[in-house]
Amino acid sequence: MNKLESNLDDLIICRKCNTLQKKLKLPKGSKARCIECNHLLYKNFDEAFNIGVAFSITSLILYIVASIFPIINVSIGGIKNSLTIFGMIYTLFNENYFVVGAILIVVLIIAPLSVIFSYIILAILTKLKIFKNLARHIISFLVISKDWEMIDIFAVSILVALVKLFGYAEVEFGISAIALALFVLVDIFMLKNIKAVELWSYYIKAYSEK
Amino acid sequence: MKSDKYISCKYCESVNINSKDIIYCRNCKNKIVQKEEHSLSTAWALLITAMILYIIANSYPILEITKFGQTSGNTIIGGAIALWEEGSYPIAIIIFLASVFVPILKFILILYILINYKKPIKGSKKIDQAKLYHITEIIGPWSMVDVFVVSILAAVVHMGSVKITAGIGATAFVLMVFFTMLSAMAIDIRLIKEPKGGD
Repeated sequence: MNKLESNLDDLIICRKCNTLQKKLKLPKGSKARCIECNHLLYKNFDEAFNIGVAFSITSLILYIVASIFPIINVSIGGIKNSLTIFGMIYTLFNENYFVVGAILIVVLIIAPLSVIFSYIILAILTKLKIFKNLARHIISFLVISKDWEMIDIFAVSILVALVKLFGYAEVEFGISAIALALFVLVDIFMLKNIKAVELWSYYIKAYSEK
Repeated sequence: MKSDKYISCKYCESVNINSKDIIYCRNCKNKIVQKEEHSLSTAWALLITAMILYIIANSYPILEITKFGQTSGNTIIGGAIALWEEGSYPIAIIIFLASVFVPILKFILILYILINYKKPIKGSKKIDQAKLYHITEIIGPWSMVDVFVVSILAAVVHMGSVKITAGIGATAFVLMVFFTMLSAMAIDIRLIKEPKGGD
């Protein structure tokens, strides 16, 4: 069984086209792509996880700014309103749209914060080499949360909403528009970009080193 | 080589030996898949729920505008057409793709996979379903654009004379997106029949 298991560890299945292939030891800084469909399988960046943690702290700060301060300010006929993530969800609940509000809480607040805190907690656990089991659950949780996090889609939606508003309202970007834009960039290029395989190989490495 | 004998864990991407039973990942110990017939019925149930919700979402207004006491509603397609007529073609196309085209594409694909599992459809061997499935999984969440736009408008446009609120359609639509995402997640890779006899 053990021999079989170690053989299985050398294999990887492409997410995109389901092709079975052998893992190779990569030179530092290079990437492995699927032979069939060229989909990125895994990278070998030693610092990938540490960079992920650093950026998760950055994105936590950005997220706090982006969610508290207004993203856009709208004035229609002299009456001013501003858009914040919390304010928007509050309005929905106020108008009895509980289902929409609840799902927006999941995709705009719970999921992004889960991703960020998973990275931070994971970093602490692996550095101290404690609670190996908990770390395992956190990685699984992180992989799931990544799918439900929709801040990037929300940012695009703001642009669409702006187009709808332009005709009859004066719109200006608020303080946290930049924070939100930066958050989306960090999110796409750093947090969502780290593959599950890489997290696991980091996990195994972190706990095997004495 | 396509992998019939092996299955990839969705949590840690490690390779496991495939069977029709419940599989627990040997590396991360998570449950990768249910029994094959359970996966199938879960996917069917969630898909049918999502399709019913999609019909409701399209027949009721997703957005309600109250101007000087008069309320008018906008359905999803109505909203896209209104944008087109105003001349914002790119935005109309985005809304149309995200909220009309993508859900329907997803329904058709999941249906196709589920029907093909029971009874192989002619010519299905030429289509790489795994790849198509992967693509719809990525574009699926983008259907949320419309719900976000409605929520944003409802948050910023409420003053004495003009007020925008979400409509019944918005609730149905957000649930539809939720259930299609769950349905796509319930489809496990074993339900996707690969072309046989490939290299």
